[in-house]
Amino acid sequence: MADFQAAGVRPVAISVDPPEVSRDLANKAGYTFPILSDPDASVIRSYHLLHPGAGVDGHDIARPAEFLVDSSKIVRWTNFTEDIRVRARANEMLAAARQLR
Amino acid sequence: MPDATERRKNIAPWLGLLLAIGGIGCNVAFFVRPPLQGMLPWLSLLFAVFALIFLAIGLKRAFGQPQVYRGKVLSVVLTVIAVLPIGLTAFAFVAARKLPDSTVAPQVGQKVPDFTLSDASGKPVSLDQLLAPSSGSSSGPRAPAPRAVLLIFYRGYW
Repeated sequence: MADFQAAGVRPVAISVDPPEVSRDLANKAGYTFPILSDPDASVIRSYHLLHPGAGVDGHDIARPAEFLVDSSKIVRWTNFTEDIRVRARANEMLAAARQLR
Repeated sequence: MPDATERRKNIAPWLGLLLAIGGIGCNVAFFVRPPLQGMLPWLSLLFAVFALIFLAIGLKRAFGQPQVYRGKVLSVVLTVIAVLPIGLTAFAFVAARKLPDSTVAPQVGQKVPDFTLSDASGKPVSLDQLLAPSSGSSSGPRAPAPRAVLLIFYRGYW
């Protein structure tokens, strides 16, 4: 987390989980970055990341994806996994963050 | 013809079962996020394929050369046991990769849509706020404007 701060990057997590679930996650994992709730998946949809019916009980959820977005809201780096078991590692995201000019 | 007690042990089905379990082990390994985790799905598949090969060799030896190899019953039992982990590995491989196309999502150089969403404390947070200096509220200490935000979309827990 301090490394991201040093790189001038603010991590933000987004899922369909309600705020209570995110709060539990933040407490358990010790996350200090914002965890945002998109319960009706409207933002996930606007980013074209909807994975219909893939959640428990057939909920629509987000496909895993990471974006580095600069101050003018332009995408500078992306990562779309092809396998839900494989996610971006913190050091990969940090490397992308440090390459930003 | 060799005596029954001199027949060789048939270890191929044991190797097959071990490899089948190794395939499941690869799936467990994802939870520790190891380096080169991108290879793990393929490694798990490799384990499953070799498990099948060794199980086939075991059965072929036990039934094709019963005068040389022991283990007719054992090779069948171990193969039946190994089918479950192999099936799970194959199923996990297919299911985990069934993802929607990402080419329509925002790409490098494109502008992302604005949003306002509730944070963990229920407070609305917009993309503009995330890109501005943070005021030092519940979401963290006072900080200057970041050069970028890292948006991490994840599947969540329900």
